[in-house]
Amino acid sequence: MKNAGPLFLLIALTNCSGPTNTAKPPEKQPPEYFRVDPSTAGTVFGKVSFEGKLPARQKIDLDEDDQCVKLNPRGMFDASITVNKNRTLSNVFVYVKTGLEGKTFPKLQEPVVLDQRGCQFSPRVFALRAGQPFHVANSDPVTHNVHPIAKMNREWNQSQSPGDAPLQRKFVRPEIMIRIKCNVHSWMRSWAAVMDHPYYAITATDGSFAIPNLPPGQYTLEAWHEKLGTQEQKIRVDPSAKVQTVFQFQGEN
Amino acid sequence: MSFSKWSCAVVSVLLVSCATEKPANGPVKPIGIAVTLPVSMGLPPVPIPSDNPPTAETIRLGRRLYYDTKLSRDNTVSCASCHSPTLGFADGRKVSSGVDGKTGARNAPTVWNAAFASAQFWDGRALTLEEQAAGPIANPVEMDLAHEQLEGRLNGDPAYRDLFTRAFGPGPITIEKVKKAIASFERTVVSGNSPFDRYQFGGDKKAMNESAIRGLAIFQDPKRGNCAVCHTIEKSHALFSDGKFHNIGTGLDEQGEWRDKGRYEVTKLDADRGAFRTPTLRNIAKTAPYMHDGSQKTLREVVDFYVGGGSANPHLDKEIRELKLSQKDRADLVAFLEALNSELPADVGPPGSL
Repeated sequence: MKNAGPLFLLIALTNCSGPTNTAKPPEKQPPEYFRVDPSTAGTVFGKVSFEGKLPARQKIDLDEDDQCVKLNPRGMFDASITVNKNRTLSNVFVYVKTGLEGKTFPKLQEPVVLDQRGCQFSPRVFALRAGQPFHVANSDPVTHNVHPIAKMNREWNQSQSPGDAPLQRKFVRPEIMIRIKCNVHSWMRSWAAVMDHPYYAITATDGSFAIPNLPPGQYTLEAWHEKLGTQEQKIRVDPSAKVQTVFQFQGEN
Repeated sequence: MSFSKWSCAVVSVLLVSCATEKPANGPVKPIGIAVTLPVSMGLPPVPIPSDNPPTAETIRLGRRLYYDTKLSRDNTVSCASCHSPTLGFADGRKVSSGVDGKTGARNAPTVWNAAFASAQFWDGRALTLEEQAAGPIANPVEMDLAHEQLEGRLNGDPAYRDLFTRAFGPGPITIEKVKKAIASFERTVVSGNSPFDRYQFGGDKKAMNESAIRGLAIFQDPKRGNCAVCHTIEKSHALFSDGKFHNIGTGLDEQGEWRDKGRYEVTKLDADRGAFRTPTLRNIAKTAPYMHDGSQKTLREVVDFYVGGGSANPHLDKEIRELKLSQKDRADLVAFLEALNSELPADVGPPGSL
């Protein structure tokens, strides 16, 4: 056997190097990721403004949990429509709805964390990529029960006692939006957008948004608000262009 | 029947050459006069197996064994280490700690009123108290003492030889006798007569406060707490357990997978994945933390767990769903659970001299 070793090796090596060795089983090809050319990429930026009557501040009844009352000594107010001082809206999800078909983007491994703090979800609106790690933390001294009401993804709920480790989940399919509730505290609300591309933004406390590094092309941009609905705009991004877009939402009557 | 005959035959063949633990002279039975165990308000008579009627001698012996650390490999752990009378016959820990500080995966169930359970352990792998008693002695993360070694130890102890002879008659001390004695003692660790029992079965409408009375109504109402669907209350008594196994969605890890498959480990039936025995709720306020994994620290956490509808998994019991309960309702439920405390019966603590 000792003598046979080198001989076998030699034969094997000879075979490998030969041109006839093309019948190897096909290896699983990594998906071909789309690469943005930084020399031509553009940016879409803008604001989401609010028109009409400001919504009245509505106090939330925290009767379900006296501990939540203690955690919110000044009470809790409905934050579903947050109008900023400059009459813009926070928590509007703006994203490229069409125009990226056929492009595949690398997966993200950095976890996106949804926290439960002061008997509220934080952030209220967030986005993550399909397959990206999704962690849910409980920073409260109370039991929560996080429940993403997913339609395209699997719907689930899980109880989380105070001090429990963060839940580690994933949403594997794109879905806009997943409403997330807490089964123990009916007022708690968060919204998750599960994306298959990186071109999205959530408006800041001055209503602004920016979607950078976008390849030149024609796109449909959508702005989504949890109460005020959605709006679309067609845009064209020329090479290296900065395209300004303004969305305007009308208040409820 | 034919199967058990066959397996007996096979076992006896195997044992002929090496075993000393199976006595050749028939089944073990106490020799003393059977005593009648007292019946406590709110509880049925204690079920007694025909081959182990409790006697004063077996109860006394079982009590001594129960509190004796000699039942563990390094003489540090007794039954009472994890099932202590000062901690509601449990141990107050998330999961129990055995020899060398080794920890198991489950929360110690209370021995208190275990005599009424139709199966023992969280997964029901023992059907009787006798069968249960043998498990932790040999379990490597509990007392870690092989049954043969325990028999050797006890046979070498004149005081135990005397106690066993009085209880079971002459002959070597065997694990069978140890199991029976401990089980007979445990059948005395029984008590009802809680404020709830006096209210419900004793006609004392002042035995529970207003909050606990409201809590009882929520507990029983299928449209509100729906607790009694598994934690049963009968007309003449209440065990607060249906003796069955249910998946309520405890014990899932961060990914939502089972850490512990519970009853499935015994039956290998798919439907039993993640199911655990319904525990009694008597003295529940004394046996924190809660659930099979000790994952919930307070009764309020337990109530909130059920309000949230447990945790989703493919075998979640159909009775587990979101509940609509106000802060007051939840506080009332906790007040009711606190009304299930009862007094320890006499003569169940550590015996005077070991």
